[in-house]
Amino acid sequence: MPSVPFVLAQVSSNVTWYLIPLAMIVSLVYSASRFELPDRILRRATWLFLQIIGFMAVVFAVLWVLSFGV
Amino acid sequence: MSTAVSTERRKPWEEQSVFVALILAILVPGLGHLFQGRTLKGLIYLFGILGLYLWGVKLGEGVVVYNQPEKGIGHRVTLHYAAQFGAGAISYPALWQQRRVKPNQHSLSQLSQPLTANFTGLLVSGDGNSAGKLVGTVNFKPEAGTFGNDTVGTFNGTLEGQSVELKLAGNFELDPAVGAGYMRKLSCSVVSTDEQNSGPGKFIAGSIPRPLVDWYGVPPEEKQLQILTGKLGKLYELALVFTWIAGLLNILAIWDCVQGPAYGFGDEPMPSPSNSDASAPATQPTAPVTAPATTSATPL
Repeated sequence: MPSVPFVLAQVSSNVTWYLIPLAMIVSLVYSASRFELPDRILRRATWLFLQIIGFMAVVFAVLWVLSFGV
Repeated sequence: MSTAVSTERRKPWEEQSVFVALILAILVPGLGHLFQGRTLKGLIYLFGILGLYLWGVKLGEGVVVYNQPEKGIGHRVTLHYAAQFGAGAISYPALWQQRRVKPNQHSLSQLSQPLTANFTGLLVSGDGNSAGKLVGTVNFKPEAGTFGNDTVGTFNGTLEGQSVELKLAGNFELDPAVGAGYMRKLSCSVVSTDEQNSGPGKFIAGSIPRPLVDWYGVPPEEKQLQILTGKLGKLYELALVFTWIAGLLNILAIWDCVQGPAYGFGDEPMPSPSNSDASAPATQPTAPVTAPATTSATPL
């Protein structure tokens, strides 16, 4: 079983993981500029974050499939 | 959630001076909101935008925020820096630093005044192999030599955890005082009489910290950029993107500070299908019916 430092090293060496906190910040700031009430901001930010991650996951999946020469 | 929202809560951005809030929002992300008493949003902008910006600076080892007028639009500002400029006062030093750095400046081969600094690097043998990691302090001073001034010094610290003292002289090379990046590269030959750590051709190679005022916002040399991008790879581009996005996000924050949230408070009554007549459109905009600037009910 791989050790925790090994897993962390693998994670930190892949820049894709940096997109998750980036998407979180973009979602939060963008939603904060759309609404005023905290709960609405947080709900909207959560939904936007999921949309961004979902979109990236779909693109990733398509590229991954295409990488096999399909 | 109650839809009866008091008028006082509707426009906190107009309770304080909008002009002062605008200036504060431009200078520091979120500060305008904090001034207006919109604490949560102020903190989101402060930590979100500023955090993203500083994270980018850290990822890019400090060689991220800079302006190169000669490469910019109208020889004034590059698009690269224009995006970062939105992040506020934290990006403004680059405008001043671009004038401090001299083109094609070379490394220093001798010092004009004593230098003491923390050093991290390697002890390298004459054949180019590393003899161990050095951590400690270097002290250098100018000294009159046979053929003019020379720079001599000492290293005090540890070599692979073992305490060591090295005498240094010859082949001294140090990055300029003002330059991009928070570390200055330093190398110097070792002339210690300690048999274990001295020998023909041995030298130390590493770096010493550069003061914030001498690196932040300084445009890098082309060669330095090539070395850095080779070392960091995609991380360097990601660092740039972080600072660009931070600068652009602050434009949204500034707009929100002055005009209020784009879609309203978020508790406006949603149109219900039962209340809409047949001629009404299927969907209604969620934005407030009245814009912030016109919400004062002045009879015409």
